[in-house]
Amino acid sequence: MRLKIILALATLSALLLSWDLYRIFLQVPDEASQGAIFRIIYFHVPAAITSFAGFYVAMFSSIGYLIRKDLRLDAAAAAINEVSLAFATITLVTGSIWGRVIWGIWWTWDPRLTSFFVCWLIYVGYFMLRRAIDDPTARARMSAVLSIFACVDIVLVWKSIEWFRTQHPGPVLEIRGGGGMAPGMEAPLWWNLLALLMLSTALILIRMRQEAMQREIDSMRRFAHAF
Amino acid sequence: MSFLGQTLAIAAKDLRSEVRSKETVNASLSFALVILLLFSFAFDPDSDQVREIAGGLLWLVFAFAGTLILNRSFARELVNDCLDALIASPVSGAQLFLGKCLANYALLMIVECISLPIFAIFYNVRLPQRLALLFLVMLLGTWGLTVIGTLFSAMTVNLRLRELMLPTLVYPLLIPALMGAIQLSTVLIAGDTLGEQNLFWFRLLVAFDVIFTILSLGLVEIVLVG
Amino acid sequence: MSPQNYTFMFYGFTVAWLIVIGYVISIALREKKLRAELDRVKRMVEEREGEVKK
Repeated sequence: MRLKIILALATLSALLLSWDLYRIFLQVPDEASQGAIFRIIYFHVPAAITSFAGFYVAMFSSIGYLIRKDLRLDAAAAAINEVSLAFATITLVTGSIWGRVIWGIWWTWDPRLTSFFVCWLIYVGYFMLRRAIDDPTARARMSAVLSIFACVDIVLVWKSIEWFRTQHPGPVLEIRGGGGMAPGMEAPLWWNLLALLMLSTALILIRMRQEAMQREIDSMRRFAHAF
Repeated sequence: MSFLGQTLAIAAKDLRSEVRSKETVNASLSFALVILLLFSFAFDPDSDQVREIAGGLLWLVFAFAGTLILNRSFARELVNDCLDALIASPVSGAQLFLGKCLANYALLMIVECISLPIFAIFYNVRLPQRLALLFLVMLLGTWGLTVIGTLFSAMTVNLRLRELMLPTLVYPLLIPALMGAIQLSTVLIAGDTLGEQNLFWFRLLVAFDVIFTILSLGLVEIVLVG
Repeated sequence: MSPQNYTFMFYGFTVAWLIVIGYVISIALREKKLRAELDRVKRMVEEREGEVKK
């Protein structure tokens, strides 16, 4: 049953993404000032939203673990964070390429990119922490606390970097070229977002199954050693 | 004993042990001096540039040297199962945490207060008339550093790579507090007036301190005990 | 459309897709590893049970 859901989600998202690619390349006209590179926005923004949403959903899963002590909630949190981290990487890389074209440099301290980089660093630390703890319960506890800290902190990081950039104006990646996109151009963005959300859900479900397998292996190993 | 009494007892214990051995403060101060030295190779200490990045330099020194103190905080309790004894004692997790925070805060402030004039001498920076405001920034910023650092010291105490994990986890989380402290320090050291714009950083520092103190006090029991 | 812009756009899309595909592949590899481990442990349990029954 689960497998069917995963397959359905994956196929749907693949179809949606293909259709979107077609629209993005062949139907949407070029944006006035930025040219072709503008189209990267159709992946950059949905990837950013997907990963960000993921981190916060994972936080709720972590809080759920702390309340109920169900290791499946911890597995869910870890899976969601991992997939979100992958999408955050995509956000950073596509943003970097965008910056390369617009500003001529590979990295730019645009407030959104900078905040995302901090976010990325925090979650890399999250997985380092998980790898360093062997006991599943301790690992779940510590990851949950870190997840909560991270999500609260990210709000402050975002606000502070934004304010810093208003005081020290720097590069900003333009999403709305000159006040709002034309209606025909905006739609693929939201469809892509839907597709990425479905794709990430499929990946998360797969990862959760793997975590369950890992738990089964651990318990069987304990059982075997009991002989 | 009251909540405060027990907390202060823990703080006093840590401070007493540190005063007797002086090992952590010395190590931290030496490290601060080394960093100040290394930075002097990174750029010409006499130029005007220093004025622009003075705040950043100062807080990088504080953050790096502070990590040594924060790392030791719970690590010193591992010997002879002292940590288990403390957790098993009637002292609540929050009291243990707060006591250690207060002790670490005092130690950090000592290191910072010694590093500041040395920094001013090395980099030819005239310390501002409004030293009181700079001191206030140090007080606020250091508390943020202490709270997060102490909580994560508790979290990483049992890990093999403790010395590596603590900075890796803590520095990204500290960015709002460090940014605020750096911005305010730079403005104050340069002798400029604190405009409307910079009040935001004060509010941010206070908000950071309040939010993370409450969050840490709430979650520390889970980290220590489970 | 400037040709340079075009190139970078393709780089961008390619990289994004490569990361997704890379991640999916890493998940698939992990699945294989886990299955192998699970089978190994199952066999180990059966062996031990067999020994105990003797």
